[in-house]
Parts: sequence; C-alpha cells; structure tokens
Amino acid sequence: MKATKLLALVALCLPLLASAVDGVELLKKVDRNLEPESYESYRKLINIEPNGAKKEFVIYSVKKGKDQVATLFLSPASDKGRSTLRQGDNMWLYIPNVGKPMRITSLQSVTGGVFNNADIMRLDYAVEYDVKSVEEKEGNYILDLKAKTGEVAYDRLVMTVDKKLVLPTEIVAYASSGMLMKTLYFKDIKDFGGGIKRPGTIETDSPLYKGYKSVMLYSGLKKKDFPDEVFTQGFMSRMEELRK
Amino acid sequence: MVRKRSVIPAKAGVRAVGRNQEMNSALLICTVALMLAAPAVADDFTFDASEFDKKTVEFSGYLEQKEEGLKMRSDSPGYKLAYPGETQRHHLLRNTTTLELSGKLNLDPVVVDMRAQAFHADDQLITTSDRGTVMEGGVRWSAGPGLTVDAGKRVQRWGKGYAWSPVGFIERPKDASDPQSSREGFVMASAEWTKSLDGPVSAVGLSGFVVPTDGSSLNKDFGVERDLNPAAKLYLLAWDTDIDFLWRGQGAKPQSFGFDFSRNITSALEVHGEWARFRDAPHNTVSAAGVTGQTESDATSWLLGLRYLTQNEVTWIVEYYRNGNGYDARELDDYYTFLDKALAGGAAPALADKARAVARSGYGRVNPGTDYVYAKASVSEPFGWVYGSAALTAMTSLEDRSWQLVPEVSYTGFNNVELRARAFVLHGASHTEFGEKPASRRIEVYARFFF
Repeated sequence: MKATKLLALVALCLPLLASAVDGVELLKKVDRNLEPESYESYRKLINIEPNGAKKEFVIYSVKKGKDQVATLFLSPASDKGRSTLRQGDNMWLYIPNVGKPMRITSLQSVTGGVFNNADIMRLDYAVEYDVKSVEEKEGNYILDLKAKTGEVAYDRLVMTVDKKLVLPTEIVAYASSGMLMKTLYFKDIKDFGGGIKRPGTIETDSPLYKGYKSVMLYSGLKKKDFPDEVFTQGFMSRMEELRK
Repeated sequence: MVRKRSVIPAKAGVRAVGRNQEMNSALLICTVALMLAAPAVADDFTFDASEFDKKTVEFSGYLEQKEEGLKMRSDSPGYKLAYPGETQRHHLLRNTTTLELSGKLNLDPVVVDMRAQAFHADDQLITTSDRGTVMEGGVRWSAGPGLTVDAGKRVQRWGKGYAWSPVGFIERPKDASDPQSSREGFVMASAEWTKSLDGPVSAVGLSGFVVPTDGSSLNKDFGVERDLNPAAKLYLLAWDTDIDFLWRGQGAKPQSFGFDFSRNITSALEVHGEWARFRDAPHNTVSAAGVTGQTESDATSWLLGLRYLTQNEVTWIVEYYRNGNGYDARELDDYYTFLDKALAGGAAPALADKARAVARSGYGRVNPGTDYVYAKASVSEPFGWVYGSAALTAMTSLEDRSWQLVPEVSYTGFNNVELRARAFVLHGASHTEFGEKPASRRIEVYARFFF
C-alpha cells in the first residue's frame, strides 16, 4: 500500500519537475529580449505632473557588457551636453559648465520625477538580482527577485513576464524595508529591427510621487559594440562623437 | 572686460539706472508669469529618434537676468576698495544681464567649438559691462576613442573638491560661494590618452599640457614671464577609486605637484581629497604701517571632504580646506589696519593706489585665509516639490572665526528655465575675512533662459 502511494506521488510530481522553470535562465532570456548586451538607443523621458504639465528629456544611451552604461542628454537645451557614466556600482554625472565628473548615487535622479539614476542607467536584471522563486500564473511567469548586494537601488523586484514573448509586462520594486517604491509598466511591443522586438514604452508611478507619472519611450535601439574607452570619465565630454 | 564708471551725472544716473532696473525687473516678472500661465500640453507619447540626428553646426546658450539687493558696510575697507571716492551707501540695488552663446562645428573627427559671454551690470554707483569674452574655444581632434589632441582656450577642472581645488594648477580659482559658476579658460594645447584595462586598475589616462605665456597679453592672468608652462595629469580608476597625480612645471608660476582622490565608500557616502605642494611659492605681505614684502617658501595645501546622501534624501557636502600659502589672522589684521589708514578720508592718493596693489598681490583673493570649513545641505524636491531644490551653505574661516551663511532655493520645472534665489548673511568681528567684505547681507534672484 505504502509503495503504491509513493509511486502515485512520484507520478504526480514528475510532470511538475519536468516543467520546472530555471529562473536564472528565464531572467537572462528576459534581459536579452529587452536589449542586446551591447547596444545604442535613444529614449525620451516624460515626467507628467498631476495637473498634466510635462517635462521631456531626450537621451542617447550606450551599453557594453555586463556593467558599463553611458548616456548623453540631447534635450532640453538646459540639460544638453550633460552625460552620465556607470561602471558597476559607480556612477558619475558630467555637466559641461561644471566640467569635472561628479559621483552620483543610484537612488538620485538626474532628471527629477519618478525615474531614478538606476532606472536610466539600468544594468541587466540578472547581473543585479538573484531569482528567489518563479511561479506560473495566467499565462505569465511571476519572478521574485532579490538584490545581490546592498548597493542595488531596489532590494526586491516582483517581475511579471509574458510567457509567450518572454518579456516583462510589469515590475514592482520594493525597498529593503518592504516599502513599495514604484511600479514599472512595459507597453507597446515594437519591432526595432535586427531581431529586437520589445516594449517601446515603459511607464512608472510611485506612492512616493502621488499623482505623478513618468514615461520612457524607446527609439533607434540597435546592437552595437563600443571600445572600452568610451566608458571612462575622460570620454564623458566627448559622448557626442559616438552619434553619427 | 570693460569696467567703466558711469558717465551719467550722479542724480540722472540714479534715475536712469532706476528705470533700467524697473524694466529688467518687469521683464523678469513677465517672463515668469508667462511660464506659470503656460497651458499643459496634451499627452503625446510618440518619439522618433531621427528628430535628434547629429547636426554639423549647433548653437546654444542662455540669457540670464539677475537682481541683487545688498546691505553695504560703507565704512569698510572692502567698500572703499570696490567703490573708490563714492559716497557712503547703506543699500545698493544691482541688476545684471548676462548672455552666453555657444557654437559647435562637428567635422568628425574634428570638432571646432566656442563659448562666449557678455554682461552688463548696473548699480547706483557703478556700471560694469563686457561686450564679449571668449570663455572657451578651440579645435579638438579625436584620433580615436582613447586619444585626443586639443588646442585653444580651455577650462581645466582638476581636483575633486567641491568648493575649492588646491590642485587646480592650470585654471582660474573657483568661487567657493558659487563653485559651479562659469569660468574663463586659458589658452593651451593638450593631448590626452586613455586606456581601459581589466583588473583592479580599470582605467588609466595620461594628459600633457602647455599653457604658453608671452610676457604680455597671452594668458597674462596665468603669469607674466615668457614660458611654455608644461603640465601633466595621470588618472587612474583603481579599486573603484578615482586617483589623479598632477604636476605643473616651473615657469610663469612656481613648480607644483599633488594628487587627488574620490571614492564611494557606500552608495550614499563619497569621500574625496586633494593634496598640493607648491615649490618656492611667493607670499606677498604688508605690515600695518604699509611696508610690503615678499618671501618665497614651499607651501602645502590640502582638502578633505565628503558627500553624503541621508535616508531622507538630504545631500551633505562637507569640506575642510587648508591653504598653505594663505594669510593667517595676524597678517590679515595688519592688512586691514593698513587699509584703514590708506583709505581714510584725507589720506594721500598714493596710499590708496598702494592699497589696491596690495589687494591684487594676494590679499584680495576670494578666500585669502589659511583654514576653512564648508558645509552644504541640499535637498532635491523638498516636501514633494518636484524640480525644486533647497540648500543651506555655511562657510567659515577657522582662523578668525568669521562666517557666511547662504540659504537658497531653485526651480527647474519650466522647460529650459532655471530660477534661483539666494540670501547671503556674513558675520565677523572687525579685521576678519567675512567681517570686512563690502556687503554684510545680499539677496539675489535670477532667471536663466536656455535656448
């Protein structure tokens, strides 16, 4: 009798084990589906105030490998020429008139509004987060992600991933205290060419900014490789040279 | 810069200046009102990157209108130096219009650029104007991502200090009261090589400079001797720490060398420092009786600072600055005693001329003392005020215990407009640095329109 029960239990678990999802591989696939490891892109950031007033920024971004990101502000005129650099947990801001790069932190925001520096200079999720668990729910995977170190901007992410597209539809970000910091909504699947098909719009809101909303629109996203020297402080004033 | 006394007769001048100030104030108020009344634009979530294709020729700039109210120390030597021969005034209103224009010609791999500034300042005593100064401009050739060659007028920003930079060997000194203000460069030629590496030293950069002086007009603010004035900088990003080794050769200025560093200890705490050694640095002095002298000796200056972001989003910047070639309290007391005599009513005109020459020889620097502490607490978006920021800055001269306190607010919520208001409160006993500045209180408001 006991042996029969055990066999029945094993028979029940086998399909579950066979279909178990490797969370780390899934997260890496999400990363690659969002962007190539090295790429250039243009983004428009729109901060929308409760009264509907908007402030827009246009940013040219480049990324190389796991942890090197650089951005250049193209608009508005008051911010044009500013650039940021990220090397792992190190971040710098270059303002043309100030001249020398200043260290900044991931939770500050060079644009104001709901997006912070970590959102604007985001690394691959698999680089910054461990997968605690994966659930399947209504055609989605729900990934529970825990920051690998205390330096990461959000301590925990709950990521909803479309099972078919293997792309995120929603990410909820929490602080180490458990406080909800913001929710990111991925919308408008767009074909960027070169095999890149991903959400062209990311919206975010936060209980810390009641009534405010920020939107990030993507354009010109393409795979591109850059020399390592592009991701050094000395190049921050020369970012414009990368644009053709 | 053309600095001229107003040619308008005194009373008419006051009326004319008053009208100008009213017009400028009205301009400022109207512009702000128009911005406040600007309607919210309907949602339009479209974006085409081709609108932002790189242009061969680019122009940009800003127009700034600044209004200042000053409470003067009309019996102070500082006032008498700034406004020689003028009657005493307890209050002064000043308005300043500044226009900065930048242009760039992109001819990959060569870039030609220029930034020029003009201003006109009016107060009830003096009209100051500058029809145009090239702040920066030149030609840069990028031989590759890691190698550039540059020639022209350039502003180098050496050092990691926020308020002061003792290792700023080939640049004009910062104004600690407004460290991010625009500065004028020196004519120089430079080459910079950068290389990324694997391992704990992840980047290395080497730069060489010459800052030529011809003994007359070329870089005359740098020095008056004919020399090439070589300088060099070695940059390392090692163990997540920015490190620079800096050197300026003997020339129009004495040889000097030093280093700086900056490192994030945590994501919220950054520490930085600078150390500079000046060989045979000249030190000009004046006795209370007016006897001038000069000594030459090695001097060491250094700075240690931190930047800390608290849980409630307040950024603290705290710096200690040791100015090895500065004037101690006794030397400053002698200087002010001499100024009291030289600028007193009835003193010989030659004495007043001598007082101005002594001020130019070193005492007239923005911060001429030896030991300073700077602390700034700033908060972005205080009380949910998006795009707003508020700050309180304190600076004290430890040697004479005089100090300056500056609360400020700024707002960048209107597209391409920056609004900023600051109040300066200066305090110190007689014959102390902040106790002898020409104004004891100052309120300034400015609007800067970028285009």
